[in-house]
This record gives sequence, structure tokens and C-alpha cells, in this order.
Amino acid sequence: MTIFTQVVWLGGLFLEGVILVRAIQGRSFSRYSLFYVYIASVLVTSAALWVIYVYIAKPSLNIAVYWPTQYITLALGCGVIFEISRHVFAHRVTLDRLARWSMLAMFGLIFFLVAVHALLLPKWNVASDTVDLERELRVAQALVLMTIIFLTAYYRIEIGKNIRGMILGFGVYVGASVLSLTARLFIGARFGTAWQIIQSSAYLAALAIWAFALWSYEPEPPPRPPSDPGGGYRTLADQTQQVLDSINDHLNRPDPR
Amino acid sequence: MIQLTFSLLVGFALLVILYFFARGGKVSAEGSAQQLREARQTLDSLQFGLLPGDLVHRIFATDDLEYVRQSAQPQVQSLFLSERKDISLAWVRRVRGAIVELMRFHRGHARLYARLSLSTELLLALNFARLLTVCRLLEIALYLRGPYAAPGMVRTVAGAAGRVCAISEESLVFLKASQINRLKNDPSHHGASV
Repeated sequence: MTIFTQVVWLGGLFLEGVILVRAIQGRSFSRYSLFYVYIASVLVTSAALWVIYVYIAKPSLNIAVYWPTQYITLALGCGVIFEISRHVFAHRVTLDRLARWSMLAMFGLIFFLVAVHALLLPKWNVASDTVDLERELRVAQALVLMTIIFLTAYYRIEIGKNIRGMILGFGVYVGASVLSLTARLFIGARFGTAWQIIQSSAYLAALAIWAFALWSYEPEPPPRPPSDPGGGYRTLADQTQQVLDSINDHLNRPDPR
Repeated sequence: MIQLTFSLLVGFALLVILYFFARGGKVSAEGSAQQLREARQTLDSLQFGLLPGDLVHRIFATDDLEYVRQSAQPQVQSLFLSERKDISLAWVRRVRGAIVELMRFHRGHARLYARLSLSTELLLALNFARLLTVCRLLEIALYLRGPYAAPGMVRTVAGAAGRVCAISEESLVFLKASQINRLKNDPSHHGASV
């Protein structure tokens, strides 16, 4: 194992631990439960793989544990997107419903197709098919994230520090994964080392962003009601009436031609 | 190959969008009373000032061109064309600016509602996008080929802008005089209802 791999692996375990400890201390675990379940699952999986790799030193056991757990963490990763969407559109029933059902359909279809392949195809390979699944899922997650960001910009929805960090961190990781997984498919096994470095570094960067953004709980800003210009409703009504009067004047004016 | 290119594009697009997302500033208090009035004014300026058939016909009428061609010197003809080009460009830019303002208002206002109509929102977004594109194309055509370059496009802009106005007016219906009078007499409808 290279020094880089050790640093990333242990650094990741440390940051995941920090995020979870802060969540328990700040009592925000239940508020972002899907996100923290994902972090906890990655922490448990990484710790277990570390123990197997360093202390048991059985590569076959490592592989036997790695792929099934990869499916679980990939599925739980989709939960992070649900968490983001749930909070961003908390006060927008229509957008929330649209996002939730679109994601369920998209992610569900991808997992369903993988399950069909695993059951029906005789030459199904857990390693290569998991990589394919990951690339397709990451592309789907990237599309959903872009849609969420587009909708927040389009409707100028305010986002709190916690969710902003969650979007940024997950976005960096998903973006880097999509690019590196695609490049790996293009270039082949030669890109394997670079792929590992890019993906590990991106995940470490995501963890650092999450640790910073989720250090303390900050509730999402409530939707702002239309603000009062200062003179109360009477002023608004009078001014609007003036506007309407000026339009009436304009309409009643004879044609200048 | 197409799938791989698509994946690469998605990855790059996400990272670029994230960069702008990370740089994004604070959201302003859109939907305020001042903006509602401005939106109403913009809508009125579009409906009554910029889009009436008479005005559009006047700016792009070929009768004037025929008259000048028949009775004026070449220098006067070129001056006429140059000035008519400036007027038509100013018209299309003002229409475009008003549409952008209206779009900005609509987004800022719609975000305050928990239940949006997806079909209306989609229809509006498509109409806005189509209209802004046509305005830009028209601007290019007028700039390159003069005021009589694209009469069909002018009609498209005027027609589509009229449709957008009709839809937007539904969201501004509460600013109608009859409702204001009703609100004036009803203490339960205070500022927050706007």
C-alpha cells in the first residue's frame, strides 16, 4: 500500500469520524439522517476494509467484502441527493414532489436493470458491472444535482450553510467520479492508478467541505414573505392605483397620428 | 462513444455549475411591493407601449420606404434607412429588456408559493426562452440587413410576447383596481396578502 493510499484512507476515516461526532454533539443527526447514515456506512465499510487489509491480510476476503458493500454505499449515496432535495424544496410542495418522484424513477430503474443483468446474464461480472453501475449512477446523480442547482437559481431559493456544503461536497465528488470513470473506460487499465488518485482525492475534498459546512447545525432560511416597502398596504394600494390611473390616462389619450 | 462523450460533458458541466454555485451571492427580497409595481409597469409598457399592432406596423411599414424611394434623393434614402434601423433596433431591445424584467419578476414572485403549477411554469419558461431567442435573432437580422429584413420574425415576436403577457397577467391579477378597492375595505387583507 502506497503512502498516498494510507494518508487518504486514514484521513477519510478521521474526517468521517469528525463529521459524525459533530452531528451527535450538535444534535443534527436526526435532521440530516439520510446524509449521516451514508457517512456512517462509508466509515464502517472503510474501517472494516482497513482492518482486513492491514491485520488479516487476505486479499480474497478484501475483494469478497468490497463489492457487496460498494452496492450498499452506492445506494445510500443516492440518499444524500434525497436529503439535499428534501431540504432545498422543503417549502415548495410541487418542486419537492417532482424531484422526489423523478429521482425514485431514475435511480430505481438503474438498480432494477443491474439486478436484471445480475440474475439473467450468465457472464455477469461483479467488478466490471459495479463500475458500470457506479458510472451510470454518478451521471444520474450529476444530472439531478444540476437540476436542483438550476431550480434554486431559477426561483432564487435561499439555501443554508449546511445544505450548500452538502451540495458542494457531493457535487465535487460526483463530478470527479463521472470524469475519472469515463476516462478510465476510454483509456483502459493504464488509467487505473490515476483514477484511484482522482476519486480518493475528490472524496477527501468532499469530506473536508462537509466537515466545515456541517460543523454546526444551521436551519434552512424560511421562505421570505413579500416585504413591505415602508408605508404599509395603504401606500402600496395608493401607488398601484396611481399606476393604474396613468395607464387609463394613456389609453384615453387620443391617437397622436 | 456517444454515451462516453455525454458522460464527460455532464461531468464538466457539473463542475462548472458548482463553481458558479459556490460563488453565488445572497438572494434579494424579490416579490417585494416595489417589485410588484415595477412588474406591473413593465407588463403595461409591453402591452400598451411596445406591442400594439399599430406601433409595430408603423415601425416596420414598407409604405414609408416606398414613398422615400420614389420622391427623395439617395442620401435621404440612406438616412431614412439608417434612422429606421436605429428605431427598429431600439424597439427590439426595449421589448427584450421588458421581457427579461418580466421573467425576473415572475421567478421572484413564483418562488413565494408552495404550490406551483408545473405546466404553467414550463409553458412560461418555454415562451420566455423562445421569445428571448427570437428577439436576439431579430436584433442580429436588423443589425445586419436593416429594418425590412425579417417581417415574419417581427410578427412572431409581437405575437409571442402578447401570449407571455396574457399568462403573466394572470399572476399579477391581484394588482387590478377592482381587487384593490375590495382590499381597501377589508381589514383582514393586510399587507401580507400581497
